[in-house]
Amino acid sequence: MPKPKIGIFSFTCCEGCQLEIVNCEDELLDIVGAVEIVSFGMAQSNNLDVDMDIAFVEGTIVQPREVEDLKKIRERSNLLIAIGACATYGGVAAIDRDRSRDELKKIVYGEDGAFIPTIKPSPLYEHVKVDFSIQGCPIEKHQFIKAVGYLLHGDLPILPDYPVCTECKRKENECVLVHHKIPCLGPITRAGCDARCPSHYQGCDGCFGPIEEANVAMEYNVLREMGIEKDEIARMVGVFATASDSIGDFLKGKDGK
Amino acid sequence: MANRTIKIDHLYRVEGHGGIRVELDGKKLLDVQMEIFEGSRFFEALIRGRHYKDVPMIMCRICAICSASHRTVAIRAIESAIGLEVSRQTKRLRELLIMGEMIESHTLHLFCLAAPDFLGFPGVAAMADRHEGVVRMGLGLKKLGNAIQELVGGRKIHQVNAEVGGFSKVPEKEALLKLREELESKIPDAHSSISFIESITQENLTKSPSVFSALDDDTGNYCYHGDKILVSTGDQLSVDQYKDLCNEFVVPHSHAKHSKYKDKPLMVGSLARIYFHRNKLTGKADTEMKRLEKSFDPDNILWNNLAQAVEVLQAIERSIEMIDVIMEEGYKEEEPAVPGKISGGSGTAGTEAPRGTLFHAYTVDERGIVTDADVITPTAINLENMEKDIRAATEMGLSDPEEALKLKLEKVARAYDPCISCSVHLVDLRGKKSSKQSSSPA
Repeated sequence: MPKPKIGIFSFTCCEGCQLEIVNCEDELLDIVGAVEIVSFGMAQSNNLDVDMDIAFVEGTIVQPREVEDLKKIRERSNLLIAIGACATYGGVAAIDRDRSRDELKKIVYGEDGAFIPTIKPSPLYEHVKVDFSIQGCPIEKHQFIKAVGYLLHGDLPILPDYPVCTECKRKENECVLVHHKIPCLGPITRAGCDARCPSHYQGCDGCFGPIEEANVAMEYNVLREMGIEKDEIARMVGVFATASDSIGDFLKGKDGK
Repeated sequence: MANRTIKIDHLYRVEGHGGIRVELDGKKLLDVQMEIFEGSRFFEALIRGRHYKDVPMIMCRICAICSASHRTVAIRAIESAIGLEVSRQTKRLRELLIMGEMIESHTLHLFCLAAPDFLGFPGVAAMADRHEGVVRMGLGLKKLGNAIQELVGGRKIHQVNAEVGGFSKVPEKEALLKLREELESKIPDAHSSISFIESITQENLTKSPSVFSALDDDTGNYCYHGDKILVSTGDQLSVDQYKDLCNEFVVPHSHAKHSKYKDKPLMVGSLARIYFHRNKLTGKADTEMKRLEKSFDPDNILWNNLAQAVEVLQAIERSIEMIDVIMEEGYKEEEPAVPGKISGGSGTAGTEAPRGTLFHAYTVDERGIVTDADVITPTAINLENMEKDIRAATEMGLSDPEEALKLKLEKVARAYDPCISCSVHLVDLRGKKSSKQSSSPA
């Protein structure tokens, strides 16, 4: 049986999800032995524009050329898997995503930057069909390895769709929100990180994006009761997943704000 | 002879998206460009209007490989802006975190990105088929760097645990002592990797002198931070004057010559640090560098690879020292320092990221809201020098077949370990170029 062909691709981002794949130090040689890697910009230079079974794609789409490149990857791949917050829901590049790009360009580059090609930052699903998303900023290597396992057996992965709170409870963490009055997005954020931030006495910053049907309005009420201003709550939830339905709607003022 | 262009459309095995373009007229070199087509994310604009506590979380996302450097230098700049002093233990732990990043980033570059060029493989996976032992050794060292970042920073990439004021959870004493054992056990591999890198990087493709710059902390240590900027011209600046170091680089258009620090491009990174600080190395790293001193050639950019290998050993030994010092000074499970009333102000900090000097500067108001932000990355500083060395390598390799020359150019570019995601300031697009590398946002 021929080995499945896999490509790993990157659009605008910190490349942390590709790096997390290279961070599978103990598993990397086994993974690359089980598949044929046709493209992996960070790890090899013999990258080919060929058809493949699975494309893993990281990054946010912020320039017109990236839309075209993404469409070509989609055409060449049987399954397209978004990896990380940027590819899934926009990530940090999509903070204030409705703000004028010209205004931002001017602040950072001055008048000289006018020619820089920019479009509204967007996750992959706004341009192509995405078959599955592995979330996190960055993704967690154990989730990546698990997902690869499912995919190599011909299944779509099953990853947790319960909130970070469940992981905190499992670890018997004292609730940072209730006991320490630390603002925490754990109740609306997808698990998978083993509750990293609350385990370090910090509020969850929401880097895995929202769970399905996240009750952002309830989170908003809890944070308001703690005395946090409306604008501050919008800034808190508006970091990693502004292009998700629940947080996008909340930020547009449709959801209880 | 007709004009021709040598083009490497996409320089793979570097962090980010870029290419190389060389224009020739017969045997005459017309132009060299490092093309950067990474998208802009406007970090310095997006952080404005947010509270300073958001700065570490957001600004570390500039880059994954050097997220610990971005995170800690951003924190230190904010602490300077709000006048917050942190504990001695916090400073030690930050240094340990940075050592972890140095080990991880350098070994990633040496074994996975650079070495395949020298051994004739397209990537690390192919290289592992023939050199599995070497690859496993490199990955083992890389894992050690990640173990430090995981323990001290709370995550390998985008460390959640480092905050303004200190560490929200001080790593457990037993875990630090266990890490110390792992560090000790990897010293022989770090030693062997110096010999390995030495054996594969004997050539000199550039023979081109550079002006170097690195930070100094006046302690006599081989240092990765400090308030003084050293320049190999003999000049010294303070970190607050970082714009004077980089201001000369502002280039409005590609057809104009790039301006330079006192008319010369500048190189930052391991080679620059070894150039200034190699006499401050201690332990086995010192012994290795003394052995290599005869072959030390700062005019050969490939030496940056060997300098990184020396720094991996140095960083392991320094990490052990940091853990020992933390224990000697009395390990404490302390909470981060909390600022009193903030009056608002500006702060600048510099750090030696794996690829060279990195500056962050912020202004916050009396509510703690960021009103201005500026970031200068080592890859942006190095870009001029990279083009200079690609030019030198092209001139030395003009009679080579095109594929051989291309490989040489890739080796030279990759020796800088460029981090293109980092170079947020730099935009360089086919024929039209704008690099705002230091002027403050309008």
